[in-house]
Amino acid sequence: MIRCIAVEWLKLKRSLLWLILFILPFISVLIGSANFSLNQGVLQKEWYSLWSQVSLFYGEFFLPILIAICAAYIWRLEHFHHNWNMLMTAPVKQSSIFIAKIIILSVLLLFVQILFFTFYIIAGNSLGLTAGLPGEIFGWFIRGWLTSITIGTFQLALSMRIRSFALPVGIALCAIIFGLTLYIRELGMFFPHSLLTIGMGVLSQSGLTSIHELILFLTMNILYTGVIIVIAKQWLEKTDIIA
Amino acid sequence: MNVTVIQLEYFKLRRKRLFLISTGFLLVEILWLFLNMNQSIMRNPDQARWEPLIATISSMNGLFLPLLIAISVSRICDMEHKGNTWKLLLTLSVKRSRLYFAKFFVANGVMFTIAVLQMIAMIVYGILKDFADPVPVNVFMQFLIGILLTNAAIIALQQWVSFALKNQAFALALGMIGSFLGMTGGLFPFSIRRFFIWSYYNELSPVAQHFSHDQITYSLTNLPELLPLMGTVFIFAVSLYIIGSFSIRKKEV
Repeated sequence: MIRCIAVEWLKLKRSLLWLILFILPFISVLIGSANFSLNQGVLQKEWYSLWSQVSLFYGEFFLPILIAICAAYIWRLEHFHHNWNMLMTAPVKQSSIFIAKIIILSVLLLFVQILFFTFYIIAGNSLGLTAGLPGEIFGWFIRGWLTSITIGTFQLALSMRIRSFALPVGIALCAIIFGLTLYIRELGMFFPHSLLTIGMGVLSQSGLTSIHELILFLTMNILYTGVIIVIAKQWLEKTDIIA
Repeated sequence: MNVTVIQLEYFKLRRKRLFLISTGFLLVEILWLFLNMNQSIMRNPDQARWEPLIATISSMNGLFLPLLIAISVSRICDMEHKGNTWKLLLTLSVKRSRLYFAKFFVANGVMFTIAVLQMIAMIVYGILKDFADPVPVNVFMQFLIGILLTNAAIIALQQWVSFALKNQAFALALGMIGSFLGMTGGLFPFSIRRFFIWSYYNELSPVAQHFSHDQITYSLTNLPELLPLMGTVFIFAVSLYIIGSFSIRKKEV
């Protein structure tokens, strides 16, 4: 497993993916802060109001698409030339390949989350917010990251099956809309993209109000991730690869 | 010669299921539109008119179409990167500019089909919901022209990026930023948003929305009023196409 992770990391070396990882959270915070700054008459809850603006663009739109792009990028090399054949003949378990990719994606997403929260704090200080940081910030960070991993696992499975780089990104947009619809119909706990909305307090900052909700939230994330890993493992082990 | 090159482009796409994917994408957008419209008609039966329908889809197009274009153009261009077929193509006695044009034409063709399907779906919805007014053919034509012009500008930009950068992550990230600006373009002052080609789906909409005292009112914008904006986006499309085509002609393969 360690070797698989090291290999995946090596594949990303010298790629310019970090540029996208840096730019997208930056644009989210920039536009959200500009909107907050222009509407301070209405948005009077300091850090919470700023969060409502920056997280709306980031959590609802940028982050799921960014995850889809990263997942497609991680599988991109395998779809070139005859690399699938080489990968499948490597002396490692097929499931280790998939799990190593999840771990690498999780590290990238942790980096994106750290960047986003850093930009949020810098933006708030630059806009002269005097109150203390919201107490919920750590919860938003961790829950957002956990759900990102769930969505990332889903996107990795899609990008593994679909050779096209672009198509899984399109599916991600459709999933965002579906997740939003479920959230509005109060079924948000049952779909990864709406779990992100809930976990990061994007549309309602009250977050998870009871321990039962938190347990359901964690269970759904684990369930989705587990089921997708099992399906991906089955596919890698049973299906003939066409390189 | 151009016709043969274009035919070949369509031939290469025969197993890419590009039309199927685009139609699926459109289906999601249309379903979302109809759900929204059903809800607003339930709240206020006066909303059962063509104007809200066209205004809503114009806003949604700003979100959906830039990403759909990024996906379609990426698929059309990436097959040459992936199959390493650029060298093969260039050994044919066809100019690069013709190949570039053929791909631009095909991408516009795909998006034209999507725009027409979208319009048909809206008309069918209006008829099924018994909208009081007859189908406003002129307004729909104006709506279609706006979409096609904006599509052309965005396709020109995406094609340039998809060809110039082998790694499609950048083209898709641009598509995503475009979608985002297409959706939020209205928040920016006109002096800034006039440079956002993605915001022209809304700008060129024949129906304008006005927000006052928690109410939304709609007004029709005549074609002559939109001509300067149409001219602007047309200039963007031509400029981006020329720059893209020139840069690809000079690029070493």
